[in-house]
Amino acid sequence: MLSFLNSSGVILIILSLFSIGAVGALILQKNNNLANWWGNGFAIIGSLVSGLFAANILASSQTLAYKISTSFPGLGLSFNIDRLSAFFILIISLITFVCSVYALGYVKHYYRKYNIGTLGFFYNTFIAGLLLVVMASNALFFLIAWEIMSLTSYFLVVYENINEQNVKAGTLYFIMTHVGTAFIILAFFLLYNTTGSLEFEAMKNGASALSPLLKNIIFVCALIGFGTKAGIIPLHIWLPSAHPAAPSHVSAIMSGVMIKTGIYMFIRMFFDILPNAPLWWGICILIVGSVSSLLGVLYALAEHDLKKLLAYHSIENIGIILLGLGSSLVFLSAGLKTFAMIGLIAALFHTLNHAIFKALLFLGAGSIISQTHTRNIEEYGGLIKLMPATALFFLVGSMAISALPPLNGFFSEWLTFQSLFSGATSFGTLTKLVFVLSAGALAFTGGLAAACFVKAFGVTFLARPRSDEAKHAKESDLSLQIGMGVLAALTLVIGVSAGNVSNMLSGVAGSVHGLAGSEIINIANSNTVHVNNEFAVLSMPALLAILLAALLITYILVKILSGKQKITVGRTWDCGTDLTPRMEITATGFSRSIITVFKNVLKPTRQNEIEYDDANLRYFPKSNSIHLELHDVYQSFFYKPLKNLLIKISDQMRKIQSGNMNAYILYIFIALMGLLLIVAK
Amino acid sequence: MGSTSQFLFILEALVFLPIVLIHLTKKNTNAVWLYLIQSAAVSSLLLISSFDKISFLLLVSLGSTILVKIFVAPWFFFRLIKRHHLKFSASTQLNTPITLFVIAAILYLNQTVLSGAFATFSSSDPNLLLISSAGIFISLFILINRRGVLSQMLGILSLENCIVTFAIFAGLEQNPGLQFGIIFDILIWIIIANVFASMIYNHFGSLDVTEMKKLTE
Amino acid sequence: MYSFIPWLLQLLFIPAFAPLCIGLTRKIKAKFQNRQGASIWQPYLDLWKLFHKDEIISEDASWVFRFAPYLVFGVTLAIGASLPLLSTLTRLPTGDFLGIVYLIALGTFFLALSGVDTGGGFGGFGGSREMLVSSLTEGGLILSLFTLALIAKSTNLFSISAVMLAVPSFAIIPAVLAFISFCISMLAESSRYPFDNPATHLELTMIHEAMILEYSGKRLALMEWAAANKYLIFISLAVNLFYPAGLATTLGLGSLLIAFGALTIKVAVLCAGVATLESSIAKLRIFRLPDLLFTSFIISLIAISIIA
Repeated sequence: MLSFLNSSGVILIILSLFSIGAVGALILQKNNNLANWWGNGFAIIGSLVSGLFAANILASSQTLAYKISTSFPGLGLSFNIDRLSAFFILIISLITFVCSVYALGYVKHYYRKYNIGTLGFFYNTFIAGLLLVVMASNALFFLIAWEIMSLTSYFLVVYENINEQNVKAGTLYFIMTHVGTAFIILAFFLLYNTTGSLEFEAMKNGASALSPLLKNIIFVCALIGFGTKAGIIPLHIWLPSAHPAAPSHVSAIMSGVMIKTGIYMFIRMFFDILPNAPLWWGICILIVGSVSSLLGVLYALAEHDLKKLLAYHSIENIGIILLGLGSSLVFLSAGLKTFAMIGLIAALFHTLNHAIFKALLFLGAGSIISQTHTRNIEEYGGLIKLMPATALFFLVGSMAISALPPLNGFFSEWLTFQSLFSGATSFGTLTKLVFVLSAGALAFTGGLAAACFVKAFGVTFLARPRSDEAKHAKESDLSLQIGMGVLAALTLVIGVSAGNVSNMLSGVAGSVHGLAGSEIINIANSNTVHVNNEFAVLSMPALLAILLAALLITYILVKILSGKQKITVGRTWDCGTDLTPRMEITATGFSRSIITVFKNVLKPTRQNEIEYDDANLRYFPKSNSIHLELHDVYQSFFYKPLKNLLIKISDQMRKIQSGNMNAYILYIFIALMGLLLIVAK
Repeated sequence: MGSTSQFLFILEALVFLPIVLIHLTKKNTNAVWLYLIQSAAVSSLLLISSFDKISFLLLVSLGSTILVKIFVAPWFFFRLIKRHHLKFSASTQLNTPITLFVIAAILYLNQTVLSGAFATFSSSDPNLLLISSAGIFISLFILINRRGVLSQMLGILSLENCIVTFAIFAGLEQNPGLQFGIIFDILIWIIIANVFASMIYNHFGSLDVTEMKKLTE
Repeated sequence: MYSFIPWLLQLLFIPAFAPLCIGLTRKIKAKFQNRQGASIWQPYLDLWKLFHKDEIISEDASWVFRFAPYLVFGVTLAIGASLPLLSTLTRLPTGDFLGIVYLIALGTFFLALSGVDTGGGFGGFGGSREMLVSSLTEGGLILSLFTLALIAKSTNLFSISAVMLAVPSFAIIPAVLAFISFCISMLAESSRYPFDNPATHLELTMIHEAMILEYSGKRLALMEWAAANKYLIFISLAVNLFYPAGLATTLGLGSLLIAFGALTIKVAVLCAGVATLESSIAKLRIFRLPDLLFTSFIISLIAISIIA
């Protein structure tokens, strides 16, 4: 069985599993139930096989290369699965496996409203596209896979097409992703121009011939192109509207995994293919990371659409991953390979962690939405009593994303901090300032994320229901609970066994070309992690143990100190008025103060409307409403000027189109002469 | 040696920290007290540095330095504050966090640009030199950031203190004559500044430089 | 290897003395106000009383409300056990300063949730304000401790204390600046002036008290006790990291007793400092607090810039 997993045929088996799932779901679309089981069933089997396949490669630390030649020039269907690819395949398989289990139950609420067959088709193709992206080792093949992933996810975004908003979000996504792809094509073309090959392996070997200028241009193109997919600010504008629009299990995959393909390609390009990164690349990524993480969490705070809030947190977490990645790149340019390893491990670890807890949170959101049929947090409330399991899992996810120990989010943020600290200790110039400021940004991000999730969890699950829908919510299906439960358990397991996981990741990090030659360090010794020559030591199991011990002692202490006291259940103090759901704090109210503090960055617009019963007696307002909104600075300062510029250029271009036949013939003539001149030369 | 170097650093801290705190303080009296602390530290530094080559002239110069810096200048300022009720001079061009941020930026620049240059000064610890040069820049920033004339004067004086500290650490030769000249200069300067400040105050009813736009008319 | 008994003793150290610390601070404040003030042992009696009272729990509250006091208190115990209180010898793998900061955040997270849980107006706003303050405090707190970590070349609190025992001369100015920054964070985290008034129940200004307004009986006792623990934790961090004089470097009864005496004196001095500060300044408006917290952050930035 294991030897079978080593063979390249597995790739074909995985791909055909997803194809069967896709096509079968389409054929069975007449029967909702059957289409659901078929589509998700094959997705489950496929992701299980690909997960085992990836785990096997990781364990045996070998590279699997496989190539199908085609007659099309330049296009070779070449797969090259090294440990980096395998790691990403593992994440993809893990998340898609859980999401598919979840989808078995979740898709039911689409029955008779939407076509389940098409959902199954696009879902399976999407996963296959994701896998192909991280497997492909040929630029053209990669671009095809990238396109499959982008297009299928577009169709999934517009799946709930009854809602006008979703179609609009899809269009924006479609445009942005293709702008990104244009830059990616440009980057690959420039690489091809020098190295003369579209194969990644050949590029890797030929890239040393690149001139520094060309290398910098490729860096910028790749940063924009893959950054658009990853959702870095200011290229993020598609993300907060597109991710919430998709069905929740797809949102989970998009947020948890798809945007990570951007990160994967960052690593592939900057660490693997392009050699000798200059210092400013790393600095640039650090700055982008700090800005994305801080602004991402601030926008999330202002949001009261549950899934949009989560989508903004994806931007924040991409920022955190980039902090690790950027510091690693800086170390690489300075030749400090051991530190570079730590940075890359931190980035990879956070990639894994974010995939897990973000998927968990999106699945939790889906579970709530399937019951309440709204994404507006203000209409939830009190769900913890009606949906206890969902509440517990969502709480675990919230704690993990807020980097609270002993869950996994804490460890990767800790490692990112250590990587930034190493930067501050080893550089003496303004680079140090960048590192320290990045550490500061990360510190504030952590705090604000906790604030945001107190808001999200508190307003959604605690206190009293605020709407009838919330009052009548019921716990979701078993399959949804299993999906969430597995991920929630994983946050704890990975958090506690962080040492072993980071040892595994140091193997992955050591396999990239840029870090080759640096010995693979085992940063953890019996699950106690040592960073930077005893600069920092942390043991996650000890942390868990001490917390549990402290809880136990607290319990014993209370038992000793207090006798048998009565507990009466009463009403919350209501100041003498009726206790209505409107007396609870709202999501808007909760984050209002933080928004006010950052009003120079967020540009909130506020409308206050008060109606009075009696215009002369202004003590008793009839209604009082506040409308708090954020001004979209990116639209007005970045995208609108860009659009205007484009329109202006197009207007100028239109003058060429005079409609005169003679003029067109002149153009052809000029073009012909130009070509002749070039050929003659 | 270890303990003397530690002592030097403590004194240097007493020179440096008041400058940062003058930036933060909202009261003129506090700023003058801080200046007093700083002057005391500078005087002690002078004392220590001239221990090995004690002479009468040097002692006199030291004595007059201490007299001017610790007694005369603060006394003049306190009198000025008392007479004109200049309790608050919180008005700065930038708000507190941004002010501090500028200071941080100045410090990073200082460390970046000058650390290489000072490595060649073999006389003492380059850290001490770096901090005193940073003190010079931050004192200059007081002049830029504060609106009140009084805090600007304090800025100039603390600038002078920092230059003296820098000279001591850099091992530049202590010339009593030169020292006398500087002290005399400061004394005259303080008196003139006081007179002017009083005149300006009587004329405009304020010591806020931004309110003196009318001067051009 | 760290044996179990001393560890248990250290675990109980903070909760045993924290109420005394609160009592002392209150007593000094009372003297400033020309009052006699309650005895410094009063907080113990208060806790004893609360532990023996019946409880009322809101019908809207969920298990989060019931569980939160145990966790909030437990977290302070766990932190107390990971601090260099008496000696610098035991380098616990949990004594990393980031671990401590995030453990504090864990407690704050549940504290704020418990405030929201009862569905009253006060609890919700208390939670909102607490998260505002604590999220903005984190930057200054982490960077001020990082300043020390840079000096000590380790992020472990025990190593930091050991290095600061013989403070290297270049570190004096940064350490002083970091101390200022840390003190601002300390006042914010332990809900003291100018951030929060620990003695008020005025709805417009309270932060910590607003969150625990619905608690009663043993759960209130736990919450109050946890707040006291947090106060002592921050004070002992301040004294033992920035001025660890007296800390035992060998494990003997004598040196430990000296360390205990030194710690008591230092903590009492800082308590007096806090009480003096509280008696001499006014509470700030809530929207002036971020300025102060950013100030704390940037002072640490300055401190780090000076470390060459």
